[in-house]
This record gives sequence, C-alpha cells and structure tokens, in this order.
Amino acid sequence: MSISFQLVQAKPNRVTTIVFSWMLFAVGLGLYFYTSQKRHQDNPEDRIMPTVTQMFHGMSDASTKPAEDDDSTLPENASLRQRFFASMLWKDTLATSRRFIYSILLLIPAVLLGLHMGLFPYVGVFFLRFILFFDKIVALSLLPILFIVFGIDELSKIMLIVIGVTPTIILDTFNLTKGVPSEQVVKAFTLGAGDFDVAYRVVLRQIMPRVLNSIRLNLKAVMLFLFAGEMIASTDGLAYRIALLRRHMGMDVIIPYVLWVALLLFLVDLAMRLVNRKLHPWFQEA
Amino acid sequence: MALIEIQNLSVAYGTPSRPVLTDIDIRIEEGEFVCVLGQTGCGKSTLLKMILGAESPAGGRILIDGVEHKQPDRTRGYVPQKYSLFPDKTVLDNIAFGPEVSEFNMFTRFTPWFVRRRREIRNEAMRYIHRIGLHERDARKYPYQLSGGMQQRVALAQALATHPRILLMDEAFSALDPGTRKDMQRLIRQLWRDTGVTVLFVTHNTQEALYLGSRVIVLAKESSDAGAQVAMDLSVPEPCHEHQIPMLVHHLEHASGSARAPEVPVFATA
Repeated sequence: MSISFQLVQAKPNRVTTIVFSWMLFAVGLGLYFYTSQKRHQDNPEDRIMPTVTQMFHGMSDASTKPAEDDDSTLPENASLRQRFFASMLWKDTLATSRRFIYSILLLIPAVLLGLHMGLFPYVGVFFLRFILFFDKIVALSLLPILFIVFGIDELSKIMLIVIGVTPTIILDTFNLTKGVPSEQVVKAFTLGAGDFDVAYRVVLRQIMPRVLNSIRLNLKAVMLFLFAGEMIASTDGLAYRIALLRRHMGMDVIIPYVLWVALLLFLVDLAMRLVNRKLHPWFQEA
Repeated sequence: MALIEIQNLSVAYGTPSRPVLTDIDIRIEEGEFVCVLGQTGCGKSTLLKMILGAESPAGGRILIDGVEHKQPDRTRGYVPQKYSLFPDKTVLDNIAFGPEVSEFNMFTRFTPWFVRRRREIRNEAMRYIHRIGLHERDARKYPYQLSGGMQQRVALAQALATHPRILLMDEAFSALDPGTRKDMQRLIRQLWRDTGVTVLFVTHNTQEALYLGSRVIVLAKESSDAGAQVAMDLSVPEPCHEHQIPMLVHHLEHASGSARAPEVPVFATA
C-alpha cells in the first residue's frame, strides 16, 4: 500500500491551521445568527436568542446607565465618561474585581505555607494531614455554613474562595518545594546560607514561576467560587447581574456579560503569563 | 590531628535494613587530594553525603577538625554532578551568593554596609570568573545558557568563593564529554595547588582517580548483601606518569571487583 494518510505525523500548513482553528467559531456564530433570525421571523418579540442589534442596545444601556436597583442619580447633562463610571457594567465589574483581587492576595499566605511545609519537616507534619483532609471538603457544600457564620456580606464570599482554592495552592506549592533537587539545598548550606536564606532566596525563587503557573490554572476555580457566592447572596457584581437578569430573560445583556467575563479572565491570565516571563527570564518551560 | 577523621562509620538503608557501608575508618590530612573510587552502588556517594552532613550514619562518627557536624555548613564546599548551580541566578550572582549569605542575613541586607560590601564581593566574583576561564560577558548569563563544562566551572568557583577548607565533589565531571573533562581535571588540579584546599573526589572512573588524586581509596563489597569497605588505600606519587596508569587501572579495577586486596603496587601505603 503506497497510499497513506498521515494522522500522527501530519503537518498542517499555515493556511490550514488558521482555517481549522477558526472553524468552530465560524460554525457556532453562523448557527446562532441563523437560528436567531429564524426565531425572530416567527416571533418578533423573541427574547431567547437576541440579535446583534439587541445585544448592542442592551450593552450600550448597561455601560451608560445605572442599574435599575441603583439609587444614585446622574445630572441630565453628565458626560459620557461620568455616565460610564456610574453605569451598571462598570459598577458590577468593579465589585467583582475587588473580590477577585482580595482572593488572589489571600493566596500569598497559602504559597508561603506550602513552602514552609515542604521545607521544614515539623511544619510539614503539623499541617499536611489536616490540609489533605480539608482539600477533600466540597467547598460549595460549606456555603450555607459560611452564610450562617459570617453573614451574607463580603467576608463569606471571600472565605468561600479561600476555602475552595487555598488547599490546592498549598498542596501544589508543597509538591513543588519537595521537587527542588536536594543538591540545591545542600549546596546553599555549604555556601553559608541559613534556613531562611534557603527558603526565600533559593527554593522560593526557583519555584516561583511554577507557582504562578499553578495560580493561573486555578483562576477558573477562583472565578467559579466567586460567581457561586455572588449569584446566591450579593447585591452587586457580574454574576449577581447575570442571575438577576435571568428572571427577566434578559439574554441581550446576559450573553455580552458572559463574553465580557471570559475576556477579563483571558486578560488576567495573559498579564500573569507576561509578568511571569518578564520576572523569570531564566525559566525553561519543561 | 587529621582534618577529616572517619571512625567506624556504618550506614544502612531501608527496611529490612541493607548495609551500604560497614566499618569505614579513614583519616584525611589537610591538603590531600583524595579520590574515592568504586563501582556503581558501592556507597561512595553515600560516604560523601555523610562527610557533607546531608545524611546521618547508623553507627560511628565523622570528625571535621575534631568536631562533629550534624548538617552541611561552610567548612565543606560541595560540587555535585547535577543541579550544582542555582538556575534563577546569573553566573555572577551564583558565585557571589556564598559570600553574600554568609556575611549578611535577611535583615542586615538592608543596611548601607551591605551595598558597599556587595561591590567588593562582586569584584571578587569577577576575578573568579576570569580564573576559571570564562569571559566577562558570561557573568550575566543564566546557567541554562552555559554548556555542561562551563556550568561545572562556575560551580567550582561558587564553591571556592567562600574559601572552604574541604571541597567535596560527587562525580562532578562524569556527565561531561572527554575533552571537556580533561580540561576540568587540569583546572581542579590547578585550583587545588593554588588554594591548598583538601579535596575529596568521588568517581567511578579509575583513570580520572589516578590522574587527579594524591591518594586513591577504593571501596568495594565482599558480597552483594554486605556493606562496602575500604578495599585499598594508596598514595599516588607525584607526578603520576601517563604510562603507569594502565597498570594501576588494572590493579584498581581488580580491587574494586572484590574486597580482597590484591598484591599492592610498590608505592601503596599500608
């Protein structure tokens, strides 16, 4: 047989790669707009699959007008800038971002704990078993308890994220610390380093790019818990808005909001990747 | 008093415990270049780790200048085969790391003295870079940008920068190609003569041991389930002529094959 079609060894060229990689986007968009148009022909009042114009109107309202439940009033002659900063979209994004940033900051102690657990045996034996247990608790099942204990304000939402994500980060950092070759630690001691020099100037610096990558992978989990908290108990935030608009079947705003969240998350991830590369030029992705 | 005194050292690993080293007694004087030779798995690296203090023995003790050391410290420099450099630091920072951390802790790093002293340390590190045959432009490279031989050169400079009395090298040149290896052997001989540091060099390569050492210790096991013992301990006359090496290699390889010491060459010590 001389006819053979290579599957594993196939080498798609530039054009095919571009065409193939955008194919599903094109199919998805095409199907959506075809169905949407079909539905609007049958029923001009259709709310399930809004047209592009409807979504544009929905979003331009969202980004220039305050939310319906927002009591703040704008002067009649407010500029576009003022309108934007008082708008529903901006305020929701701000509220969600604030919670997101708090959660990311709370991961710093988690990284440090993992480092110390991996490096100092006593810290390791003290925490490891408990955190392995804690890691198995389904964080969302704790949500009612958190609301009872901490109330339904910011604290319980941030605690949810902390409980959901920190065990993973701690254990990941622990494993990365364990993975540093023992030669490195021994070498540092022979050069006169103390315990904390070894921890912060040798081990932490080496694992830092991998830790950042691990946090990047867990961004999805952070957002998941954040959205769960916002949807159930909140008065602002992107997920609160999506949950609220569901009641009015406000798909013209829900769909752009979903895409907006995806874009924001993509940008955060991209920024972290660039910062990681900038800070650790020596890091070889293995 | 000997610089390194190994008394009755035995080491066993695992459960049920399997002996690795049994009843090792070695005295090493200041300024010696000792090569520890043996087959793979005979415990020569374990012996080095014991002297390093990275692991503790099951029995016996090791005295460095009359004192027992429970963990690695500045008295003993270390050059392993792999992972010898800090991947996140440049060549210059790798060499300067030792002097910096041994003089300044996490808090005194934020004082003006540190800034001034660091400049001196960096100049010193630069001198080391020239001494090991690297260029000024290599100073800002990261270890991954260097060849294996260059990395080990830097590792040597890094270990010597803190002026240790003892230098422990674990198969330090074993991953290098023959040409580079020869260069490295010349370099370490040179550095040994210049600094007077006591070197303990672990290798499985007999030629290397004979070329480098002023003394060669062969470790071998009596049987596969026994711990290794000192099978032979000979001082190598200086200079060790190239034409003598084949004969010595034959003798030593015979020795490391079985613990029974064969007829010892003329210049062997008792």
